[in-house]
Amino acid sequence: MPNYPSPTLVWVHGDSLSPTNPALLAYPDAPAVWVWDEELLNQWQISRKRIVFIYECLLELPVEIRQGNVMEKLTQLMQEYGAQKLVTTQSPSPRFQHICQELSRQFTLEILAIPPLIPPQKYLDLKRFSRYWKVAEKHIYPH
Amino acid sequence: MQREFASREDLIAYVTQVFPGAKGAVSETVGGRRAALYKLAQLQPHSYGDTRNYLDGAVTGLSPYIRHGVLTLAEVRDYLQSQGHPWSVVEPFLRQLAWRDYWQKLYEQWGEGIWQDREPYKTGFTAADYGEELPEEIINGTTGLPCMDSFSQELQTTGYLHNHVRLWLAAYIIHWRRVKWQTGAAWFLMHLLDGDPASNNLSWQWVASTFSVKPYYFNQENLARYTQKKWCNSCPHLGKTCPFLGSYEQLQKRLFPHAELPQSHSRLGTRR
Repeated sequence: MPNYPSPTLVWVHGDSLSPTNPALLAYPDAPAVWVWDEELLNQWQISRKRIVFIYECLLELPVEIRQGNVMEKLTQLMQEYGAQKLVTTQSPSPRFQHICQELSRQFTLEILAIPPLIPPQKYLDLKRFSRYWKVAEKHIYPH
Repeated sequence: MQREFASREDLIAYVTQVFPGAKGAVSETVGGRRAALYKLAQLQPHSYGDTRNYLDGAVTGLSPYIRHGVLTLAEVRDYLQSQGHPWSVVEPFLRQLAWRDYWQKLYEQWGEGIWQDREPYKTGFTAADYGEELPEEIINGTTGLPCMDSFSQELQTTGYLHNHVRLWLAAYIIHWRRVKWQTGAAWFLMHLLDGDPASNNLSWQWVASTFSVKPYYFNQENLARYTQKKWCNSCPHLGKTCPFLGSYEQLQKRLFPHAELPQSHSRLGTRR
């Protein structure tokens, strides 16, 4: 078990399974955790091959692996480590955002950005891909 | 939970034990950063653009790693840049990275709304005309259509389908079997290692026409061409009872008899 107690806990989720995940890079000494979201796995009947693939990704990361209700498990882990701050990386998933909203009532929550493919735009028309691409192609690669 | 395993078989046995609800085969595709970087180094941007729509084309197999953030889009782009590839060479591949970015941006805006029809169907049918259930013979791979049965099996055993195959299978389910895209999308998410709600659902909506100006469909000639007739050559339906036989105009009349669609469909390839 790394560094008991720790003021900070890193939460790794399924959109950021890289050892270069910005949360892991920013807090290399903090303990990091992953929680298998049992409800999600059951609801979507996620097949065994997907779980094995993700598990193999996790084995290359310095994370403690748990399973259950994500909110409950994270709350429990924060208490176990005596941590006050939870650090994670951004995700567009509404489920992730809901969990973050709930957790931020109990702890300081820091959500780090993933390096973007194109720089943030003041306005981006997403009506169709062609409109997005007109802007994206100017920024995506030097030419 | 356990972190040390003597072998992949050990890991699989453990997963089977701790996730009793998770069913089915295990893919040969191995997860993790090392595997991802290995695949990245195999990337052939020169042939990707010309051959990506063919089943034996230079597709990259990077999607499961990108979906789970094992590699970021920016990182893959930076890698191409570091190799000194000019824009003309990398543009087709970058366009595909951009599709992923585009879907993710829409996901941020719409959230669970990606499960709702973004627009009405342009097929001449309403959402109520489409069934909720995926026919058993599609899941079991017993439709009798060698191509579709093989695609179904491949999805469920490997957790991967070539992009063109995804389009054909989705079009078959929605337009030939008249099943709601949501049903097909949920089935794909169970199995695809790269299954991402936004990319998956919005692509299904693109095929369905609930997020595009017209439905995507294909014909036998198109499937035969991009598969090198892999399934057509020995197909008992070839030239006779193949449901995909005909010109685009003929299929349009058959599949969407009530729709007001533009007459000229030049769909030699796949637009995306």
